Amino acid sequence: MTCAEFQAVLAYIIDNGGNAEQQEHLRQCAVCSDLVSDLKYIAEQAKLLVPMMDPSKKVWDGIKSSLEREGLVKDSARGSLLGSTPLSRWGPANWLLPVAAALLVAIGLLYYQNRTTGQQASLQASSGNAEAAIAPAPPLQFASMDDTQDQQVLSEVAAHVPALTQAYRLDMQRVNAYIADARGLVTSNPDDEESRQALMEAYQQKAMLYKMAMRHSLP
Amino acid sequence: MITSMPRGALWVLVVLAGCAALAAAAENRKEFHYNLGPHAAVSVMNQFGGVTITPSSDSQVGVVALLRSTKVEVDATQRGGRLELRTHFLQNATPDEGRVDYELRVPADTSLTVRSTSGPISVQGINADMTLEGDAANIVVRQTDGGHIHAHTLSGPVRLEDVARGDVEVITVSGPVTMENADGRMVTVNTTDAKITYDGDFGDSGDYTFANHSGDIDVTLPASASVDITATSEKGGVSNDFPLHALAHTAIPLTQGRSFAGTANAGSSSVRLRSFSGKIHVKKK
Repeated sequence: MTCAEFQAVLAYIIDNGGNAEQQEHLRQCAVCSDLVSDLKYIAEQAKLLVPMMDPSKKVWDGIKSSLEREGLVKDSARGSLLGSTPLSRWGPANWLLPVAAALLVAIGLLYYQNRTTGQQASLQASSGNAEAAIAPAPPLQFASMDDTQDQQVLSEVAAHVPALTQAYRLDMQRVNAYIADARGLVTSNPDDEESRQALMEAYQQKAMLYKMAMRHSLP
Repeated sequence: MITSMPRGALWVLVVLAGCAALAAAAENRKEFHYNLGPHAAVSVMNQFGGVTITPSSDSQVGVVALLRSTKVEVDATQRGGRLELRTHFLQNATPDEGRVDYELRVPADTSLTVRSTSGPISVQGINADMTLEGDAANIVVRQTDGGHIHAHTLSGPVRLEDVARGDVEVITVSGPVTMENADGRMVTVNTTDAKITYDGDFGDSGDYTFANHSGDIDVTLPASASVDITATSEKGGVSNDFPLHALAHTAIPLTQGRSFAGTANAGSSSVRLRSFSGKIHVKKK
């Protein structure tokens, strides 16, 4: 069985496990095996976006503003593109959007860090153990990501603008306290819109903090 | 008079004059002019130093950059209706040596992107979209009409004065936010640990959200304000001396001393005030 044949029936395999031939290919092919693992992980994460409510107009206006600001949508395209967006698809997760944004920033940062580290390692190992230099990074562990990311962000700031490190550290602590309190509110009142908004705003702070920190490492 | 001065004082004067001359020589002034056409976009990326932007009387963009040392230069790139100004470090420099102060005069319909770590950033009389960012930058926006205003800082204070009909998003971590006579369709202020002060009438048909973790939220509004207000502070408490009509059904559960809700006049603008441990005060002007 080829990879193309395997991937053509991927959805069936993920849902039902596949037949013996497909199982055999999955065992032998690292590419397809990784692909299936990744898709299963994404599917698991997507289950977290359980239906709770429709997004407010504000959320979509915010997304629209961001898209326009970034030049991804032109004025003439506003109505058609955003107007036809299936809102209900995103509806369950409106309060998770900034959380997702913060995670995306974090993943981007990790990718950047890993790539930089990998490049440095490649250079160092060019006359020696090249195999070690291209060893894959360990898989992301989302549970401990926050703390790891904070440390990496602070390291970036320290490397590029050491004078701001202490200020970033203090602000990081403030934002983390905000997130912790907002999480507590959501935990004790999971159906409360205000609590979810507070958590969203707390993560918005974190996303901004990361974004501003990373700007210092851009050329 | 000089001849009557003590000899020591005369030497001090000479040395001071020499220092002033050296300082003047070190400060390098650059001036640029561009024709970008209508609805142009200008961005300024500055590490240390201020950026001041005011409207020009013609269609030209005028830039004056004051460089405090020869360790930095200004890269200016025009591509069509877009101008990018960037401070470029030629070698390692201290914040003083790397400081560049920009003064821009741009057509009032020019959209802006300004970043300066230390700031200050000041924009006045520009009626277009603007994104203003700085870690510790003091950001001031005055006399704008329309456009989206995005102001992001960590510790830098943000002040908006006489802002009309715009969409406003202000996010700071510990920088206080002050808004005077500012209204818009959608106004969001989000801080972690800083005071939010609003003095104005909230316009008409706007959607306002002021939220923080700690730090007070002070709102002062005239009796004529047409608002639909909800206020909640989980641990900081709320107080209100503005006459509001109670609502039969509220969007938030009301708890004495921790939340209130009500409308005034037609209630055309929605105002949400939310804090975790800050105090929320709503006062009549």
